[in-house]
Amino acid sequence: MKLTRRKFLGGAAAVAASSMTLFNFNLLTNSPSASAADQPSEAIKTFRNVCPRNCYDTCGMITYVEDGVLKKVEGDPKHGYTNGKLCLKGYSYPRRVYSPDRIKYPMKQSPRGSGNWTRISWDEAMDTIAKKILDLKKRYGSTLPICLDKYSGNFGIVHYGIEGTMSSIGYTTRAVGTPCWPAGIDAQTYDFGTLYSNDPEDMVNAKYIILWGQNAAWTAIHSLPFINEARERGAKLVVIDPILTSTASKADLYIQINPSTDGALALGMARYIIDNNWVDWEYARANSLGFDEWVEYVKKSITLDWASEKTGVPKDIIMEIAREYATAKPASMWVGYGMQRHTNGGQNVRIIDALGVMTGNVGKSGGGVNYGHLETWGFNYNAMVNAPPKGSKGFIGPDGKEGDRAINMNNFAHDVSAQSDPPVKMLWLACRNPGAQDPDTNAIEKMFSSMEFVVTVDSFFNKTVEMSDIVLPATTHFEDWDVMASYWHYWVGINQRAIDPLYECKSDVEIAIELSEKMNALEPGSCTFPTSGTPEEWLAKEFNPGIHQMLGINDYKELIDGPRKAKMPPASWSDGNFRTPSKKIEIHSELAEKNGLPALPIWVDEMKTPEKYPIRFMTPHPQYALHSQFQNLDWMMTTNPEPKVEIHPNLAAKYGITEGTMVKIYNDLGSITVKAHLTRTTSTNVIVAYEAWYKNSNFNVNYTLKAIPSDMGKQATGNDGLAFHDNFVMIEKA
Amino acid sequence: MSKQLGFLHNSEKCVGCRGCEIACKNEYQIEATPQWRKVFQLHEDDFSLPTRMFFSMACNHCAHPECLRVCPVKAYTKREDGIVIHDPNRCIGCRLCTMACPYDRPQINPAKKKVEKCNLCYQRIDQGEKPACVTACIPGALELVEINDSLDQKTGILKTLPGLPSPKITSPSIRFIGPKQGKQIRRD
Repeated sequence: MKLTRRKFLGGAAAVAASSMTLFNFNLLTNSPSASAADQPSEAIKTFRNVCPRNCYDTCGMITYVEDGVLKKVEGDPKHGYTNGKLCLKGYSYPRRVYSPDRIKYPMKQSPRGSGNWTRISWDEAMDTIAKKILDLKKRYGSTLPICLDKYSGNFGIVHYGIEGTMSSIGYTTRAVGTPCWPAGIDAQTYDFGTLYSNDPEDMVNAKYIILWGQNAAWTAIHSLPFINEARERGAKLVVIDPILTSTASKADLYIQINPSTDGALALGMARYIIDNNWVDWEYARANSLGFDEWVEYVKKSITLDWASEKTGVPKDIIMEIAREYATAKPASMWVGYGMQRHTNGGQNVRIIDALGVMTGNVGKSGGGVNYGHLETWGFNYNAMVNAPPKGSKGFIGPDGKEGDRAINMNNFAHDVSAQSDPPVKMLWLACRNPGAQDPDTNAIEKMFSSMEFVVTVDSFFNKTVEMSDIVLPATTHFEDWDVMASYWHYWVGINQRAIDPLYECKSDVEIAIELSEKMNALEPGSCTFPTSGTPEEWLAKEFNPGIHQMLGINDYKELIDGPRKAKMPPASWSDGNFRTPSKKIEIHSELAEKNGLPALPIWVDEMKTPEKYPIRFMTPHPQYALHSQFQNLDWMMTTNPEPKVEIHPNLAAKYGITEGTMVKIYNDLGSITVKAHLTRTTSTNVIVAYEAWYKNSNFNVNYTLKAIPSDMGKQATGNDGLAFHDNFVMIEKA
Repeated sequence: MSKQLGFLHNSEKCVGCRGCEIACKNEYQIEATPQWRKVFQLHEDDFSLPTRMFFSMACNHCAHPECLRVCPVKAYTKREDGIVIHDPNRCIGCRLCTMACPYDRPQINPAKKKVEKCNLCYQRIDQGEKPACVTACIPGALELVEINDSLDQKTGILKTLPGLPSPKITSPSIRFIGPKQGKQIRRD
């Protein structure tokens, strides 16, 4: 039942970085006036790549390379979901690969935080790191003082070699969980057994679409053509979101709901559906447990007046969408990750799930309560699997088993500091930037400064690198072999090495190999990571007969001809084989109850707004960035040069704030200062700033964010999620 | 001139994703500052309801291009299909064109001290392909069209949008489909 979003490992191995021409943008310019990019040239080679970022779309890419230089990127026309197009971030990749800001060599900073970086050799870097690991192991009798924090910077399967690096030196402390989506994952785990969404291309068959806290225009833009096709066939698009997003601006109906009250709206709709007998009793009773019990609860406890009061949505609108959603057949719902980032977020998703079940929209083409899936991720995770060296001492868990020591990724600063037996002394960070992305940035800074030693693998001198002793230069995905699956669409694509690794960059697996060689030279048997294999050989080891069969291939090399779509029915759960303990949809979930949650999808109150801090500060995903990636690139800095906070004019007027005023946003934890943009796309008690890392800027939305857990996440991901959007502040003119 | 190629931009479909803007940069690896194509957000108060609405604009390959008229070194030419080409080899960076264009689309490249602009991917067009921006547009909001009377007679085709200079100045080869608003349930 444990789904642990299998921690992925990285990269390809062994090929040493090639000759070190200093690339710059001039090399790249494709002459605009003559002989331009599209002249077919024998000198131009194309390669298949897949964008490995933490994004719904996981785009197929074609990379154009001339004389070893990446000249441009395009979408892969053989990819049936991304359809030959990239987003603005995808098109900016050449600027990322050849950015003069890229970390080019291993470097050390002394002292940490000083900005005094000096270039060192790989040998010196590995020698320093290996000696520190062995020293800690000697002092504490285990490698548990070493803590890994790795997450979603690159979701390529071979990148799980990062976890493999740690496994191969012994038992270590691990940041476990996911900040993104765990409450919703658990909600769907309790209800259906796991998260498993319809093929997004199947949305064309919907007659009614509700995007629930989902801003596809910014975060999953390749889904828009499918939504638009459904609309051309007559479907109505409803967007429910506290923020009038670019997606919401296109909707037939936009509903500005009170944040964190989505479950109340769904319950109001359920009440009206029951009252009008639009319930698909046959489907619900045949496929679920506890349905009638929940219907009784709705009849007894829910009124439209209450739902309207709670959500701020007029009764007639609740009635309208309830009728339309229940009678459209099929009707599709897409539950965004933003709406579950609340203290009652998982519970709200469970209620929306129940709404889908009661109307018979689960298991139907054109329907579904769609959240995400991991059906196409069944790789070997070969690079992740390494036995600990003989004699390794681990942490004895509550189950009595010896192993790694898990700490909460979503309360990382606190949990690292709280360890005493043994304490955490060294951090290894890869595919992760807690300095930018974790809650309570002040606490993160304090925790980092208490460490003996910090190693970060990255491409840019971001906030986490600034707090490190040694930084190791990471390859981009154009410099590695890898394979990528999506948690939204059903396609899987291969990622070829299109260009040689630049400068002295290495992939995570190559780094693990270097470390293994050094550790075993210093202390034979101290590291089990294999020291051979080409990058392509490491990739090949990730495939198995199950993946071959799912993709209809006999060999991974067939993916070089184009990405493949998994052979799965367009509608999830269409076979009715749910993966709960009872094999039915569990409207009444004993597992939820056992975990201290309500058994039924009943209303749980949202977090109360504190009196002292009456303004909600929402920090959703940006348009120009993926978390702390992309916004720092020069093209992005030109088109979006500075961060802004969106404030409703009525709220701004109260504090004497006008367009362009610098605003201090603060609470007990900390503060940030940012320029105001007045807009009625937000409401009068919600301010909005989009998280991102701007070049030469200390802008970071997380200084005021407390590490408040969301209600769910433990069951499937090991730890509860983070209530990112229950962030309350006060504002004033700076 | 046998015909006039141009752009049709549909603000009803455009979500302001800026894919076109960066796809243009990717195609030609344009440096950071000149923005051959740019996405503009329409002022939210211009609509009955607040909204995020956009249009995308590059060189408009005008029927009466001011850039071409003012250029002292004949760096500009107009092709038979109406595309206005700028030749950086002739350009002396005097910036007269950047001042003359009502749309601010010829832009100086500060590194090269010369002007650059969209040439409507004429090399791609000559090979039967669409411009990079049009190819990249995911919602299908940007199209390559022939500007002619039959297009202008279609319902909903606009010659300008609020806030843009009068099309009478240069007869720009761009047409618009205006934004459409749905219903909104608001809390203010």
